[in-house]
Amino acid sequence: MSVLSVRGLSIDYLTRRGPVHAVRDVSFELEKSETLAIIGESGSGKTTLAVGLIRLSPRGTKVAKGEILYTKNGMTNDIRKLDDDDLREYRWAECAMVFQAALNSFNPVITIWEQFLDTARAHGLNDRRRVHDRAAELLDLVHLDAGRVLPAFPHELSGGMKQRVLIALALMLEPQMVILDEPTTALDILTQRSIIDLLRQLRQRLGFSMIFISHDLSIAAELADRMITMYAGRVVEHARVADMFYRPRHPYSLGLLRAVPRVSGALGSVASIPGSPPDLVRLPKGCTYAARCPYAIDACREADPPLLPVDTPQHEAACIRWQHVAEVLGSDAEIPVAEKLA
Amino acid sequence: MTALIELDRVSRTFHTPGGPITAVDAVSLAFDAGEAMCLVGESGCGKTTTGRLLTGLLRPTSGRLLYEGKDVWRTKGADLARFRRAVQLVHQDPYASLNPTRTVFQTLSAPLFRHKKARTSRQALASVNELLQRVDLTPPENFVTKYPHQLSGGQRQRVAIARALTVDPKVIVADEAVSMVDVSIRISLLNLLLALGREFGVTIVLITHDLAVARYFAREGRIGVMYLGRVVELADTESLVGDPAHPYSAALIGAIPEADPDITRSKKRVDLRSAEIPSLLRLPAGCTFHPRCPLSEAGLCDLKIPELLPVPTDREVACHVAVRERTAEQAATMA
Amino acid sequence: MTSAILAAPTLGQRLSGPWFATVEFLRLLSRRPVGLVGFFGIVFFLLLAFVAPIFVPFQNDPSLVDIYLTPSLAHPLGTDFQGKDVLNQIVYGGRDILTVAIIAALLSTLIAITFGSIAAVIGGRLDTAVVAVTDITLTIPKLILLIAIAAILRPTSFVFLAVILALLQWSSLLRQVRAQVLSLKERDYVEAARSLDLGLFHIVFREILPTMRSYIVIHFILSMTEAMYAQVGIILLGLVPISGSNWGIMLYFAQGQGALFYRDSLWYILSPILAISLVQLSLASFASALEDIFNPRLRGS
Repeated sequence: MSVLSVRGLSIDYLTRRGPVHAVRDVSFELEKSETLAIIGESGSGKTTLAVGLIRLSPRGTKVAKGEILYTKNGMTNDIRKLDDDDLREYRWAECAMVFQAALNSFNPVITIWEQFLDTARAHGLNDRRRVHDRAAELLDLVHLDAGRVLPAFPHELSGGMKQRVLIALALMLEPQMVILDEPTTALDILTQRSIIDLLRQLRQRLGFSMIFISHDLSIAAELADRMITMYAGRVVEHARVADMFYRPRHPYSLGLLRAVPRVSGALGSVASIPGSPPDLVRLPKGCTYAARCPYAIDACREADPPLLPVDTPQHEAACIRWQHVAEVLGSDAEIPVAEKLA
Repeated sequence: MTALIELDRVSRTFHTPGGPITAVDAVSLAFDAGEAMCLVGESGCGKTTTGRLLTGLLRPTSGRLLYEGKDVWRTKGADLARFRRAVQLVHQDPYASLNPTRTVFQTLSAPLFRHKKARTSRQALASVNELLQRVDLTPPENFVTKYPHQLSGGQRQRVAIARALTVDPKVIVADEAVSMVDVSIRISLLNLLLALGREFGVTIVLITHDLAVARYFAREGRIGVMYLGRVVELADTESLVGDPAHPYSAALIGAIPEADPDITRSKKRVDLRSAEIPSLLRLPAGCTFHPRCPLSEAGLCDLKIPELLPVPTDREVACHVAVRERTAEQAATMA
Repeated sequence: MTSAILAAPTLGQRLSGPWFATVEFLRLLSRRPVGLVGFFGIVFFLLLAFVAPIFVPFQNDPSLVDIYLTPSLAHPLGTDFQGKDVLNQIVYGGRDILTVAIIAALLSTLIAITFGSIAAVIGGRLDTAVVAVTDITLTIPKLILLIAIAAILRPTSFVFLAVILALLQWSSLLRQVRAQVLSLKERDYVEAARSLDLGLFHIVFREILPTMRSYIVIHFILSMTEAMYAQVGIILLGLVPISGSNWGIMLYFAQGQGALFYRDSLWYILSPILAISLVQLSLASFASALEDIFNPRLRGS
C-alpha cells in the first residue's frame, strides 16, 4: 500500500520573464518502507517538487494542478487541502524534511539541546525530561554522544555531525516518511560514507519511507529501491534501481549515467551530454530533450511523449524511441552503460 | 631532464586567531611539460593552497618553487612577469571567476591588448573568436557580447579557460574546475582541458575532491593524494585506484559511493579507527593519519613523520608500514 | 562584416542600453514613493537654481517702504530687511550653493576613490601611509578646522571654497572605499586579472571600481549633503567674504539684521532654511532609495 501518491502534479513560479513551469505533470507512488531517489540536474524541477510535497514553496509559486495524497492508518488526505494546523502536524510528525541548506541554517547562538527543545515545543511536547530522553535516544541512534553534542553550539560540530543531528531532529516525531534534499553533497568522502551507512541502518531499524532528491547518481545506487529521472520539470524515466542503471530506456537517463565516471572497475566509454537544458519559460515543442538527443527523429519534435511502459516490469520511459535505446544497450547483463557502449 | 615546474619541500603557514596553521607541509611535486596530473584530497588537506603556491599567488613560508629550473621567488621583473603569465589558475566557482560587469569580449580582449597580441578591435575580435572556438563556444558570435549572468555554469567555465589561454600558458592549475557545473557536462570540460594539454603541450594540474573525476582526467597520468597538508601517496592512476598502498588512499577508494548499484553495495571497505579529522591547529605527532589508521603501530607511527618514499612499483608512499611491507613483498618475490 | 558590428556596438545598441537601464531604473524607483519624491525634489531644485534665473528677472533694488512684508501676491514669500523680494532671492540663491556642493562632492569622491583603491590594491607602505593620513584627518574636528581655514584663507571664490570643503571631506569615504576594495580584490576575477598581468590601472579602474558604481553614486550624493551643511555653516558665521545672493548669505543677513525680532519676518528666515532642508531631504531620501534599487537582495522584498 502506498504511503504517498502524487498524481499529475504541476508547479509554476513567476519570474520577470513569465511563468516557469518548474514541475510538469509528475506522478509517482511511494510504498511503505521504500526508498525512492529523484535524480535531476539544476533546473530539472527536483527541488521545487520536494518543497512542493510538504507545501513549503516560496511565495510566487503556484501548484497549478494535481494532488498529493497521503495515507495513514487507512485514512487518505490531500496535502493541498490541509489547513494550517493539520499541515504543521503533517510536516514533522508524518513527513520530515532534511534540507541541504539546513547544514548552515542552525541557529548559531543556541545549543543543540535548545534546538531539540524548540522543535518539540512547536509540536506540543513540553515535558523537558521526556524531550531529553528522546533526544538522547535519537542521538544514540545516529551514533552521536548525547552528553557531548547536546550542550554544544552548532559551530562546534563538524559537517558530518551536523548532518547527523539534522537526521535525528527529523526523526523526533517518528515520521512515516523522510525527504532528504542532497543529503551528502557538501560532505567529505569518508563522512558521506558514514551518513549513507547510517541512513541504511535507520531505514532497516525504523522502517520509514525515504525520498532522496539529488544530482548525485551514486547516492541513488547506494540506497534507492526505485528511481526517477527528471528533465525540464518532467519525469522522463521511472524504474527499479537495477533497471535504471543497467537497462535505462530514456536517452537522458542513459546520457546522465554515461557522464559519471567510476573509480572501481573499467572506465568504459564516458561522455558528456552535448548542449544545455531548455529555457523553462519558453519550452520547445515536442520532447524537451530532443535537441540534445542522439536518437531523436522528426516525430520527437512533434509531441511531448507520455510515460510509456517498456520491456522490463515496473519501468516507464517518456520516449518514443525506447525500443531503439533497448536495441543499442541490450537488456541482459548487469553491466554499466558506459561499458556496454565502449 | 628537469621538470617544467616543481615544488621543492614547500611549506605554507597561515596565522589564525587560534594559532599558526600549516596548510601545506614540506610538499615536493614535479610536473613535466604536457602532463595531466591530479591532486585529490578532502577539505582541509591543503590541495587548494598547493595550487595557489604552484601558480605563485601565494609565497611559500619555506621551500622553493622552480620554473624551468629557476627559483621563481628569487627572480624579478621580466622573468617574474613571464612566469606569472606562463602559469594560470582556473577557479572553482564559475559565478565568481568572471567579472559580472564585463562582457565576454571585454574579458578576453583585455589581456590581448595588454600583451600586444592585438592592436585594433578587429584583431582582438578575430583572436577572441578563435579562442571561443577553441573552448567549443560556437558559434562565437553568440557569446562575444554576453555578460556572465547570461551564460550557464559550463559556458562560464569555458570562458574562464579561454581567458587563461589568452596568454599562452605553459601550465594550467584547475582548482575544482568542474565541481560546480552540472554532472552531465563535466566530462566535456575535462576533455577540453585534456585536449589543450595534448595539442599545445600545456601541463594541466587538476585539483579535486572527486576521485572518479581524478581517475578519468589522469587516466594516462598520475594522482597525488593529500592528507592534512602532506602528499601521502603519488602513483600512476590505474595502480592507485586498483591497488592503493597508503591506508588513507585505500579508505577513500573503499568509501566512495559509485554510480553502479552492484559495485557500490559490495565494495571492500577499510574500517578506520576514528571518523574524526584532527584539527589543523593540533596535528597529531608523527604520521598525521595514525589516530585513524588501521595499520598504525605504537612507537613508530605516532613518533616519526613518514617520508614520501618510492616503493615497488612506480609509486611513492608516505607510510612506514606500507613501505616496509611492500619492500619485503618484493624482496620475497625476487628470492 | 558581422565582426565589425560585434566589436563596436551599433548606435542603436549604444542608445538602447542606457535607455533600457533608465526605464528599468525609473520603474524600480516608482515602487519607492519616498525615493521618487526625493528624485523629483532634486530635479525641482536643480531647475530652480540653474534654469529659473534665466526666466525670472533679478530684482536687486532696495525699497524702504516694503521692509519685512508678510507674504502676498506680489511677494509670495514676503520681503527682507531692504524690502527685496524673498522668492526672487531663493531663486537666485541656489545656484552657488548647489555648485559648491557638487564640486566639493566630486572632488572629495575622486580623492577618496583614487587613493583608497590604489592604497588597498598596492598595500604595503603606501597603504600604511594613506591610512595614517586618513586617520589623522578623521580625528580633527572638521567644523573647527574649516572655520580656522576659512578665517585664515578668506576664500573669495566659490570654487576655492569647494576645494577647501573637498579637502576636508574625503577621509571617511576613503576608509570605506579602501575596505570595499580590500574585499573585492580577493575575488577570483581580480586574482585572474593579476595572474594575467593586466596591470594596476586595469585592475582598479576596469575590474574593481565598476562593481562599486552604485556605492560611489550613493556616497557622492551623501557628500553633497555634507558639503551643503558645511558651507552654509561657515557662510552663516560670516567667514566667507562673498557678496551676492545665496541661501547662506540670506540666513547671515537675516540673523545679522535682527530679523528674528520682527514678527512679520518669519517667512524671510524660514525660506532659506526650508530650501536647504528640502534639498537635503530630497538628496537623503533619493540616496536611500538608490541603496534599495542597487541592492538586488533588498529588491525582492
